[in-house]
Amino acid sequence: MRSETGAIELKASAGRSHPFWKNLKRQKSVYLLASISLIYFVVFKYVPIWNAQIAFKDFMALDGVLGSPWVGLQNFRDFVNSYYFWELIRNTVMYSIGKMLASIPAAIFLSVSLYECRNYYLRKTVQTIAYLPHFLSWVIMYAILLAILSPSSGILNDLIKLMGGKPISFLTETKAFPWIVVLSDTWKEMGWSAIIFLAALMGIDPSLFEAATVEGASAWQRVRHITLPSIRPVIVMVVLLRLGTILDAGFNQIFMLYSLPVYSVADIIDTWIYRQGLLEFRFGLATAVGLFKGLFGLMLIVVSNKLIKRRTGSGLY
Amino acid sequence: MKKMKGILFCFVFALLVAGSAFAQADKLTTIEMWYGAAITEAGPPPDDWVVYKLLREKFGIDLKITAEPSNENDQDVKILAAAAANQLPDIFMVRRDPWQVLIKQGLVAPVDDMYALMPNRAPNHFDKDSIAFTTIRGKSYGFAFPGSLQKNEGLVIRKDWLDKLGLKMPATLDELYDVCHAFTFKDPDGNGKHDTYGYGAFVELFDQEQYLGRRFDPIMGAFGVAGTWNMTAANFGLNAKKPEFFEALQFVKKLVDNKVIDPDWPSLKKDDFRAAWKQGKFGVMREQMAALAAAANYAPFDKNFPNGEWAALPPPKGPKGLSATGIYDSNYRIYAVSPKAIKAGKKEAIAKFLDWMATDEGYKLIGWGVEGVNYSMDANGDITDKNVPADTKFSSPKGQTVTQLRNMVFYNSDLELAARYPYYKTANGRTLGPRTYLGTFQSYPWTNVTGSGTIAPSPNNADLKRYINQSVQEFVLGKTPLTKANFDAFVVQMDKLGAAAWEKAARQQMEDNGYLQ
Amino acid sequence: MKSAIRLTTSDRLFHVIVNTCLLLILALFVIPIWSTITLSFRPNTFIGSALDGMLLPPWEWSTAAYKALLGHRTFIVSIFNSFRIFLEGVASALFLTVPLAYLLSIKTLPGRKFLYGLVLVPYLFNVGLIPNYLLVSKLGLMDHLAAVYLPGAISVYNTLIMKSFFEGIPEELKESARIDGASELAVLWKIILPLSKPILLTIGLYYGVHFWNDFFNAMLYINDSALQPLPILLRNILLSSGMNEYVEVNAFGEAPIAAIKAASVLLAAIPMLVAYPFIQKYFVKGTMLGSVKG
Repeated sequence: MRSETGAIELKASAGRSHPFWKNLKRQKSVYLLASISLIYFVVFKYVPIWNAQIAFKDFMALDGVLGSPWVGLQNFRDFVNSYYFWELIRNTVMYSIGKMLASIPAAIFLSVSLYECRNYYLRKTVQTIAYLPHFLSWVIMYAILLAILSPSSGILNDLIKLMGGKPISFLTETKAFPWIVVLSDTWKEMGWSAIIFLAALMGIDPSLFEAATVEGASAWQRVRHITLPSIRPVIVMVVLLRLGTILDAGFNQIFMLYSLPVYSVADIIDTWIYRQGLLEFRFGLATAVGLFKGLFGLMLIVVSNKLIKRRTGSGLY
Repeated sequence: MKKMKGILFCFVFALLVAGSAFAQADKLTTIEMWYGAAITEAGPPPDDWVVYKLLREKFGIDLKITAEPSNENDQDVKILAAAAANQLPDIFMVRRDPWQVLIKQGLVAPVDDMYALMPNRAPNHFDKDSIAFTTIRGKSYGFAFPGSLQKNEGLVIRKDWLDKLGLKMPATLDELYDVCHAFTFKDPDGNGKHDTYGYGAFVELFDQEQYLGRRFDPIMGAFGVAGTWNMTAANFGLNAKKPEFFEALQFVKKLVDNKVIDPDWPSLKKDDFRAAWKQGKFGVMREQMAALAAAANYAPFDKNFPNGEWAALPPPKGPKGLSATGIYDSNYRIYAVSPKAIKAGKKEAIAKFLDWMATDEGYKLIGWGVEGVNYSMDANGDITDKNVPADTKFSSPKGQTVTQLRNMVFYNSDLELAARYPYYKTANGRTLGPRTYLGTFQSYPWTNVTGSGTIAPSPNNADLKRYINQSVQEFVLGKTPLTKANFDAFVVQMDKLGAAAWEKAARQQMEDNGYLQ
Repeated sequence: MKSAIRLTTSDRLFHVIVNTCLLLILALFVIPIWSTITLSFRPNTFIGSALDGMLLPPWEWSTAAYKALLGHRTFIVSIFNSFRIFLEGVASALFLTVPLAYLLSIKTLPGRKFLYGLVLVPYLFNVGLIPNYLLVSKLGLMDHLAAVYLPGAISVYNTLIMKSFFEGIPEELKESARIDGASELAVLWKIILPLSKPILLTIGLYYGVHFWNDFFNAMLYINDSALQPLPILLRNILLSSGMNEYVEVNAFGEAPIAAIKAASVLLAAIPMLVAYPFIQKYFVKGTMLGSVKG
């Protein structure tokens, strides 16, 4: 708690000396400035939530949000009872967790390697090249992947054939497809995600390192005991935020890469919604699933935050 | 007195201004249209487009147009989102599925009384079939403009490969298989590498061409199961449930198992497929005549293989002697009008606009542009792009911007065909052009499924479609063994997902409208 | 940063391993990117596998794809629109995000928990297309570039990252300013922001890239073709084969479709690629005092 003596000396007014009001007075200028942000926030984030009541309605465009008839939980029931429900949940969660398990360590690994690298040119080059794929849309990624993975003309299969093996049709094999999704997404986002960890690493007090070196710590020990723990709060935050959106598994990527032979392992909630909710004008259904995802994510964040806070002392809130 | 004069003057002045403002407003009706661009990426017409001016002066119409996204899914999303917010434009092109949804929501207006206002359009654009196409429960909810040419695709085969291997044109399914086998394993391009295949395809699904899609229909047709629906009175229903379908799948599986079909077929997109045949990857395919033989499209293939030659191949005969290249239906583009536009009194203006487009003046302006600038007439009275500046001819990037609305006026007249599909000489001196193939393709057997385009979708449309199409692919690729038992189970599950009910409703609908054969 | 102490063998091994890993990572990225670049320069007459394509010597490259794209009036106009969206979007986003992030970082703020909850809730409940569309159209933003960036001008993810950064700034700095009588606003302006260059640039870049690449909002809300940004054009080019029935005329002349696609994507990415190295140098300065706290 901050000391109050300074404040009391400056403002010799009685009655309003309670910290709450002092803070409010001092901070009202920021509240004022932030009020624009808050208004924006309410308008752009909460009005759509109000609009989202169509999840409980049979949405008719002409009647609008308020005029459409209520159907209670019917949309949710339609979703949960649909033929592919469990498959969708399984696929969605599989991709989210898979991508998290692959990409966060990869990004940390990359950022720490860059941070520890003493060769200026190597570091600069890798840093610059690694973030490039982030800018490639999944449409072109699809073309790149095809050039690598095509069973008849792809580089990887050329190599496999050279070594005497049978070419694998990666994009249409149910066993291979999930790996391709996770690995290609990791590749694409690794450099970009590393930026945030790199920024955090840059913020570590150099004196900590000097102290460690003076005490004879090796580079490995330095990384293990200082570097990584120092960015733990950022890692935790990133993990928790990603958990909160666990049911968003990357629509654009799946939409570009999937095809009928692998629907059973590729169809995620969002692609199903796209076909069922959007293209068939069942917007109540689409919105209901959005709410469903949100509730699920909320539960997950609350539970994980508790657990992680208990273990490591820092959490999202 | 001076003051009075001043006030009077101001008053009169104000009246005049207001009057002219009202007069202006009276004169110009704004029509907002979302159209399907001929070639979206070429860009919209320039702001000083002669058609805009003409519409303003002649009819007092201020036309504002927006090109819809070229990808069909994006189109649907854009239209449906606007519909949900009740923000649809006055007139817009819409695909059948979303259009039917919009009708249910009351978001498209009935247009029965507008046909009479369009005398110029009636002869070539509106006939009994086209009006029936947009009629739901007795009211017409949009205009069906003629789509692209029917039966303009066909099987083609690398004649030069056949000659090199000393083979003749295959006539039956078994002979086709043998030829594909030879194309794959006997190095028909003579380059010593095992880089060629027999059949080439990709999954191209349309409403009436589901399951494995259009590119496999010549094979399915050999078993009498081309297309989604069987439209005969005796045997009406989804083709996927028929025993012949099982046999057809067996044949395709044979191609796949023996690797005589390009193995990329399940994951290729259209552009990749076209790039592949231009690089000589396979020797038998079903292709559209212009995609195959129009000068710009044939050129890369010609450069790579100056002695390469694609010959039209009649669809192979199956075990019972049946054959078909595929299906054909009446092919229309639907333009719908929003109820808001009717309420705003724009009905006559829209009708006048559409009607003008079909006059000789409108037809030429919108179809090709300005004579002398974008096109010229040759000695036969045909339209060509010769004798006009290269950067404004209608086939140039700039020229394409002024013909973006041509899909709304074309009806596949001879004039159009001659203009769009000129002949040219190939590298080895042959005369070639899309029309070389058109007549032949149209003469081959096709399965008539007229009317199936109006079948109302099943309530569980998306999931049912996915189940059927996914299962079919899994059979063909060997993920599910293609046994009679598995196939029967597949049919049973289809029914559980609503196929049986859908067939019943569809049959009733087809009977009511007299479409069963 | 490191004092001149003699390296142990373990340390030397450490650096060898780090460098090797980085080299492998480099190869992992260079190969596919190189394949895209060669794809964009591929001539129409090329036959061969992708591997051959990557080894094509530069004198056989064809610039047809680039010529076709850059000579396209629509292409130039859409790049201009995208730039506007980028600049306006980043400015709006930072203007809106910074005060909110700072507000949340003040530990003694009254109602902090409530505010935090307020901010987190919409993050989880992504209500989807229609509710947002209804809002944007009611606000009259249709056919305005703002419709592309305004809905996403405050990203909860970015706000929380920024908040985390602000919290990492040592309390002593803020305290001394407060004791001197400065209002919070002054603290923000005079103390916090000058120290926040790295995070402002990072978050600004995050927003900027997101707006630059957005096509969904543009497709839904922008009908006027004079206002359409680059991603719409790209998407039409890249996915056009779904609709193009009159295939007899190739809108882009002689270059193969695959080259056009590759070239268009590379061209779209160039502004970002050019901007990033300038921003990078701000990360190199380890001027942050104190560690980042949670």
